[in-house]
Amino acid sequence: MFGRHTTKNENEFMAQDAHIQLKDLTKSYKEGDKSRSVLDELNLSVEEGEMIVLLGRSGSGKSTLLNLVSGIDKPDSGEVSIGGTDLSDMNEKDRTLFRRKHIGFVFQSFNLIPTLTALENVLLPLKLKGETDGDIIEKAQRYLDEVELGDRGDSYPDRLSGGEQQRVAIARALAHEPMLILADEPTGNLDYETGRTILDMLNSLVRQNGRTMIIATHDQDICQIADRVVELKGGKLHNVEHSAAAVE
Amino acid sequence: MRDKKSKNLLWLSSIRFLLRHPWHFALSILGVALGVSVVVSIDLSNNSAKKAFALSTEAVTGKATHQIKGAAENLDEDVYIKLRIEGKIRKSAPVVKGYGRISGMNKTFQILGVDPLAEAPFRDFASQQSGIELGDFITGKNTGLIAQPVAEQLQLSLGDTMIVSVGGRAQNILLSGVIKAGNDRSRRALENILLVDISTAQRMFNMQGQLSRIDLILPDRREEALLSRIKGLLPQGTLITRSDSRSETVAQMSRAFEFNLQALSMLALLVGMFLIYNTMTFSVVQRRQLIGRLRALGTTKNEILTIILKEALLIGFLGTLLGIIAGIFMAQGLVKLVTQSINDLYFVLSVQELSIGLFPLAKAAVLGIGATIIAAFWPAREASKAEVSTVLRRSSNESKITRRLLPLAGYGLIIGLVGGTLLLIPNGGIAAGYISLLFMIVGFSMMIPLLIVGMATVFRPLMGKLNGIIGKMSVRGVVTELSRTSVAIAALVVAVAATVGVGVMVDSFRGTVVSWLEAQLQADVYVQPPSAVSRKADAKLEPKLVELLKETEGVSRWHTVRSVDVQTNYGTDQLVAIEQGVEAQETYQLKESLENFWQRYMVEDIVMVSEAYAYRHNVSLGDSLFITTDRGRQAFTIEAINFDYASDIGTITMHRDIYKQYFDDRAISGLALYAMDGMSVDRLVERLRNRAQGQQEVFIRSNKGLREASIAIFDRTFTVTIVLRMLAIIVAFIGILSALMALQLERSRELAVLRANGMTPGQLWNYVISQTGIMGIMAGILSVPLGILMAYILVYVINLRSFGWTLQFMIDPQVLLQAVGLAIVAALLAGLYPSRKMAQANPADALRND
Ligand SMILES: Nc1ncnc2c1ncn2[C@@H]1O[C@H](COP(=O)(O)OP(=O)(O)O)[C@@H](O)[C@H]1O
Ligand SMILES: [Mg+2]
Repeated sequence: MFGRHTTKNENEFMAQDAHIQLKDLTKSYKEGDKSRSVLDELNLSVEEGEMIVLLGRSGSGKSTLLNLVSGIDKPDSGEVSIGGTDLSDMNEKDRTLFRRKHIGFVFQSFNLIPTLTALENVLLPLKLKGETDGDIIEKAQRYLDEVELGDRGDSYPDRLSGGEQQRVAIARALAHEPMLILADEPTGNLDYETGRTILDMLNSLVRQNGRTMIIATHDQDICQIADRVVELKGGKLHNVEHSAAAVE
Repeated sequence: MRDKKSKNLLWLSSIRFLLRHPWHFALSILGVALGVSVVVSIDLSNNSAKKAFALSTEAVTGKATHQIKGAAENLDEDVYIKLRIEGKIRKSAPVVKGYGRISGMNKTFQILGVDPLAEAPFRDFASQQSGIELGDFITGKNTGLIAQPVAEQLQLSLGDTMIVSVGGRAQNILLSGVIKAGNDRSRRALENILLVDISTAQRMFNMQGQLSRIDLILPDRREEALLSRIKGLLPQGTLITRSDSRSETVAQMSRAFEFNLQALSMLALLVGMFLIYNTMTFSVVQRRQLIGRLRALGTTKNEILTIILKEALLIGFLGTLLGIIAGIFMAQGLVKLVTQSINDLYFVLSVQELSIGLFPLAKAAVLGIGATIIAAFWPAREASKAEVSTVLRRSSNESKITRRLLPLAGYGLIIGLVGGTLLLIPNGGIAAGYISLLFMIVGFSMMIPLLIVGMATVFRPLMGKLNGIIGKMSVRGVVTELSRTSVAIAALVVAVAATVGVGVMVDSFRGTVVSWLEAQLQADVYVQPPSAVSRKADAKLEPKLVELLKETEGVSRWHTVRSVDVQTNYGTDQLVAIEQGVEAQETYQLKESLENFWQRYMVEDIVMVSEAYAYRHNVSLGDSLFITTDRGRQAFTIEAINFDYASDIGTITMHRDIYKQYFDDRAISGLALYAMDGMSVDRLVERLRNRAQGQQEVFIRSNKGLREASIAIFDRTFTVTIVLRMLAIIVAFIGILSALMALQLERSRELAVLRANGMTPGQLWNYVISQTGIMGIMAGILSVPLGILMAYILVYVINLRSFGWTLQFMIDPQVLLQAVGLAIVAALLAGLYPSRKMAQANPADALRND
């Protein structure tokens, strides 16, 4: 069904000076007495400016992997190195501080802060990062303009449609100019057309700003925008020739 | 690095959250406000009463540094003359003092007999400087002065006659002037004083040739020398004390009373804290999702903790402000009750107005805000500790709490046991009692989730039978949302239990006093002079009247009592001399005694002290007590301890024969008469009253009448406690209402889903009301054991440690029913608004809300 993907030795992707470096990542969840392995000595390296699509069925561990990359969660063993910083060595607080400086998030369920307006939602990461130089409101407004919601800055999330909410989330993920953007099934809660628009917007904005991005999805179509496609299966990553997948 | 603005945005989010849940926000503030207002009102009224007392004493004591008093009651006039002439003590003033009522005014006055010529250094208002016309004042006739406002109130002008009743005798006093006060403060204190010439006072109190005391001003430098000179001039048994020691005694007397009130107010604050904890937990649980998102975006745990605590600070601040304002209003009413209780118990106070001190307000602010922060701390920490990944997954928290049920209950049990162990500390004091109480409350609360699950298994089939599927669903809802419902139920349980605790305590108190009175009042008829202060038997029966009554036809036996204030090695104490023989053992219930006490107490220097006395002064059987008698300082051995609930200060009782040996006092304070066989008590009372016509005005009451009068006084002094219990009930009621209402309002989404799935508005009403009703029943049931536990500690630990009284534990089922009923009614009421709101709301709106 996934066509002819080729599996290479994973070590081949590992360049020592890669922008993002995941090494022997292992993560399992305990359920009662049993422990179920989700990620099993997983390796990945991503170059700066690269756009990776992370394919995988529901439940394969995509969100788990992204949570390890962002430092929301900690691996059982292995290394997570982003821009030369090893997250697995850091404590919770430092990981949080790292996250707010360097990582942008787009979630499947938008996860906007309901008590803040669209503009304030975009402003939040900027303020958390502690940016004071220049007019940050102007900056947030500019990103809101980019996602074509310049005139909805005063609206609260519950007054926006799903697509609009996700566009605000994209603006929020980019506004503080993070070095890495993580998108967890960004089109999962949207209809096909809206999903396309969102994806195009995300793609062009990320590329335009020269950011690195990992998109987790189970939607093969998304592979089109990727520089590289990997699939998560059995706790390990497998390379996918996406051009082939797309052709098929 | 992190600038203020980033936090501003978080703060903005918080504020908006609070404003979007106005009910919740308002109820949290109310929780704080209720607790604070009770503390403030009690503090303020207590302080006002204390201040009033200080003012009154200050006005009457004047600038005196020392006072000379007689051993038993009075002092011979000659002592004063000797002091002036032989001792050349210029700064000395004779005082005759007593209490009485001026007809037309329903309050007791302090009657102060002075010599205006000697007063100048002592009391401004009583000296010539204040314009007292000696010619009018010392006329040989009965003349007196009262304060201007009192004169106006009585519509008296100079030269009019006042009818003053002293110890049951009416006397005419000519109003010869008004008391001029130096300043506003003393003016108020002087409003219950009737100032008369010393010889007038001696006539009024039947104290010819005698004084109540002599006031002295001794300069610091020469105090020692002068004291020894004075002591040389004084007869045996006369006492010289610093004039501040009396106010110390009274301060000590009211300390236990005050502590009791304060303790009750702290209990109210504790209940308030539970309400705050409840609402804060809610507000956090509700925001798990939001907090998870903030955390994912890089907000640190500390920032979350800080922001929630800041919210608590805001709520605490607003609640405290509101509570202080409400407390000041409540105190206006409470101060009257408190002064009344103090008047009944200890002395006459004139000032009944509120004085608002800065300290009680500052204390309330610290307590209110502090309690809010403490109560909010755990929910805030819980919020900050939430794992971002699990929160983002929308995974429910409920499986977690069910797994923690047993350990939680286990910890609760341990904490409760620690609390119980604290009680075992000997002489742990009242504070230890309260800390133990707190531990037990917290411990019990931790067991509540497990108990709810247990009760739910019983309720579910029951409700299924009664109310079908909706009944079952409503019980299940309580369990599936245990992390929210258990906190709400716990808050209700604590609030309702507090009312049970105080209720049972008052009942036990009352029940004990009633059965004690029954045993104590063996005679059929009691004769007493009206006393200005209930617990102060300072008036005497006239010998003529006593003779008359004793010889009344139908009286078979009689005995008398004498009650006086004496000086002992422990200060001023009440001494009672009784003349019954061995048969007194039927009247007095002994807690413990040495062998053959009743056989020996008529002939040996032994005394019986009350339980409260023994506790206060930490004395036991075999200890010696030194009493200053007319024969000098004399040792008596304590050989019996009796139950006595009439006085929390305690009394010393000895036989009249022994008393006669040491005191030159023949007066009688009370007379007890027994009816002949076949004689109806009521007819005897009737006959005695007829015989007493035209004599000294006295109370002649049957056994039953006196018992009722005593219980009335008891009830009056406990009004404050009852009012506080009412307050606790109101706090509990609002607490229940708020907790349950918040819970239901927060479920609007779930209810909207049910509506969308076809539940009719009527079924929704049924569902919500059944659920709050079940929670009310659960809380009501759980509050009973906790309430009884609280009562147990209040009765056996707190009361014992503050008063030294052994009380019988009495549980009136009505108190328990009341508590359960309170919980249920409040719970049902709490369901009304959310049901109405949700039944009317468009489900689409609720579903849309994230
Ligand atoms: N906090 C958790 N506790 C237990 N199991 C979890 C937890 N988070 C994820 N899992 C399990 O790990 C597996 C991977 O989940 P996830 O990373 O969310 O997959 P995906 O995002 O690819 O759908 C799933 O089987 C899920 O049930
Ligand atoms: Mg996922």
